[in-house]
Amino acid sequence: MIKNKKMKNAYMGKILWVDLESGRLQEEEIDETIYRESLAGTGMAARILLDRIPPQTDPLGPDNIICFVSGLLTGTGSLFTGRWMVAAKSPLTGTWGDANCGGNFSPAIKRCGYDGIFFKGVSPQPVYFCINDGKAELRDARDVWGKDTKETEAFLKKESGCRMPRIASIGQAGENISLIAGIANDGGRMAARSGLGAVMGSKKLKAVVLDGTHRIRVHDQAEIRRLSQKCNENIQFMPPFPPAFVLAYMGAILRALPAQPSTETLMFNTVYKRMLQKWGTASLNQILIELGDSPIKNWKGSNEDFGPEHSENLNPNVFSDCVIVKYHCYACPLGCGGICHRPGLPGETHKPEYETVLALGGLCLNDDADSIFRMNETLNRAGMDSISAGGTIAFAIECFEKGILTLIDTDGLELTWGNSKAIEALVDRMIHRQGIGDLLADGVRAASLKIGKGSAEYAIHAGGQELAMHDGRYDPGFALHNCVEATPGRHTIGSQMYYELFQLWEKVPDLPEPGLIYMKRSKYVPDREKAVAAATCSKYMNVINGSGACLYGALMGTKDFPLFEWLNAATGWQMSPHDYLEIGADIQSMKQQFNIKQGIKPRDIKVTDRALGRPPLTAGANQGRSVPVDKMVKDYWEVLGWDPESGTPLSIGKMDWEL
Amino acid sequence: MPFTITDRCIGCSVCKKICPADAIQGEKGKLHKIDPNACYECSACGRICPQSAVKNAQGKFIERIRIRRNWPKPSIDTAKCMSCNICIDACPRACLTLQYTMDTTDKKGFPVLARSRNCIGCEFCAAACPVEAIVMTVNPV
Repeated sequence: MIKNKKMKNAYMGKILWVDLESGRLQEEEIDETIYRESLAGTGMAARILLDRIPPQTDPLGPDNIICFVSGLLTGTGSLFTGRWMVAAKSPLTGTWGDANCGGNFSPAIKRCGYDGIFFKGVSPQPVYFCINDGKAELRDARDVWGKDTKETEAFLKKESGCRMPRIASIGQAGENISLIAGIANDGGRMAARSGLGAVMGSKKLKAVVLDGTHRIRVHDQAEIRRLSQKCNENIQFMPPFPPAFVLAYMGAILRALPAQPSTETLMFNTVYKRMLQKWGTASLNQILIELGDSPIKNWKGSNEDFGPEHSENLNPNVFSDCVIVKYHCYACPLGCGGICHRPGLPGETHKPEYETVLALGGLCLNDDADSIFRMNETLNRAGMDSISAGGTIAFAIECFEKGILTLIDTDGLELTWGNSKAIEALVDRMIHRQGIGDLLADGVRAASLKIGKGSAEYAIHAGGQELAMHDGRYDPGFALHNCVEATPGRHTIGSQMYYELFQLWEKVPDLPEPGLIYMKRSKYVPDREKAVAAATCSKYMNVINGSGACLYGALMGTKDFPLFEWLNAATGWQMSPHDYLEIGADIQSMKQQFNIKQGIKPRDIKVTDRALGRPPLTAGANQGRSVPVDKMVKDYWEVLGWDPESGTPLSIGKMDWEL
Repeated sequence: MPFTITDRCIGCSVCKKICPADAIQGEKGKLHKIDPNACYECSACGRICPQSAVKNAQGKFIERIRIRRNWPKPSIDTAKCMSCNICIDACPRACLTLQYTMDTTDKKGFPVLARSRNCIGCEFCAAACPVEAIVMTVNPV
């Protein structure tokens, strides 16, 4: 039996280590100082993994550690704070790897009495880890090995004997150690990025099953409730909103303007909230194509190649009309997700997200919504990242177009733009590593290295990770964060638009406030203000990920999303927003230091030239644009107090840390 | 201050049987004890105790409610509910579940007391609800 000691405010004060090789379990007490300096979630994970993973570790070997961590605010009664995070050395990039996900798994970690569960070693046979009624153990998973994530959940719900188990599992992609495999929970919500499903697969860890009843205590419940009710009042305010087709025209009009109104001018915090409420992230399907934020045709096309006549087939209503119930992650009042029932598709499926729709749609010039629904479900079940899968398929199509791959290589698949049947068939082959699928199952960088013949030019990635569906040529902030984050190629950390939406200057007056309107060309001119904004995004998102909070809450702006106030009320600390951002800076330094310890030189993390506008596009929304990323990276490192030439952190806050 | 069993206890073990945290030890006919490390203060032991022998964290005796069906149960105000799942997670007995229809024009799902026989009236769901959409009542709607 695991002892149930008195818990602290907001955090549980301990983590659990599971040695998959010996089966030994060990609790480790975590001192309050660690939470004050690194929060929980990925902050605590960064601190521990930096310390415990040896240099030059094989990401798929026994020395890699994979951890499932909950946020500091999860379970405290605060809203938008139900994200769970998984971290390890990424096999896809060789760098720090983390991914986070909604669903209902995050509070289950804390209900079992821990802030995180850390797995090391490699099991000799497939196992799953279960905590039920305070009893933690590794169990034989041979009966469930080979099943997809939905089947696994259904099987383990019965087999585990738990009352209400929360389950994170891998599907066939993780079992086959595909480097673009993720980890799923709640019927298909995915912690998809960084290839961490492959780490689970390499450790023969099929699933983590949690059911606990520990209470999560807080310092000031009344204040948390007051803040949550105020936040919810804003969420439930639903002004009338135009129909979906208007969004595409809004994008086209904004594209035509030479100047860009700031998000505050457009009241975009409210508009975006309403769009998410009404359609989920699928609301972005058309507007971002028209604006130029969605990459098209493996990043070589533009909105002109996938105009409204195509994107209309993927308009937000196509997806939201199939919703039978809005899907809310734990502690979410908004409910951007949806459980869909699509005529012609068996059973229920999660509503495809914008990233999935564009990766399997516009990036491959595929406008067949049915195929996207099917592939979304197939990928969620197999536990494969739909962004990386779409990026890899687009790469393969371009190789086929250029004659680098032939019908012999593809086993007869006509990999042409928009050929939805061939794209669907390729998804299946990638999941099961059959034929050409085996070549592509590890993402574009690995595939281009094997294929050669100049294919690297068409492999769009940052440090090995396929880029998400936000174009740095439209918002150079995305390009910068693709380069500088410890996990390259992430789209959920920062951009110029994110900075505007976060509105952090409201809480930290020293931070720059963007003008109400500015010329679009000024976005491409690096300056200190933009570097400060980018560094602030990184710091803030570290606080968000340390708290288990959701990006969409943060995008409502700090006026309506009282993260810092919730943190103080939950913990009893009296820290200022500036103090929390300093913690975020330290977490950023720890993740960077992790990479350096693993032998990664930050300067060597590159984004494929095409995605930076080298050469620039000759048509469409981003025509003639290129991103001066080298200068932007240098400025960013300098603002963080790192060596601007090498990107090496020079110190980590007040911590006694030898760099 | 942890929950305690006082010397009113006659060792009937009904508290031990109902405790969802498995936190009560004691032999039949002897004074029972609550393990403060395991107890999560749901008060079920006090409500069922025929001697009203259990003191809560505030040091007050918990009142016995003789008939189990008269124990308070959650009643959910769907006008206030934001479908956030917090109550479902807070329930230590997995009594609540999200209910919805297959109708695509009615997209909201709400928690319902699906396993009312499991409910021990702990009020954790009501206490956890950030928008006070749950009230405890003897005859839930």
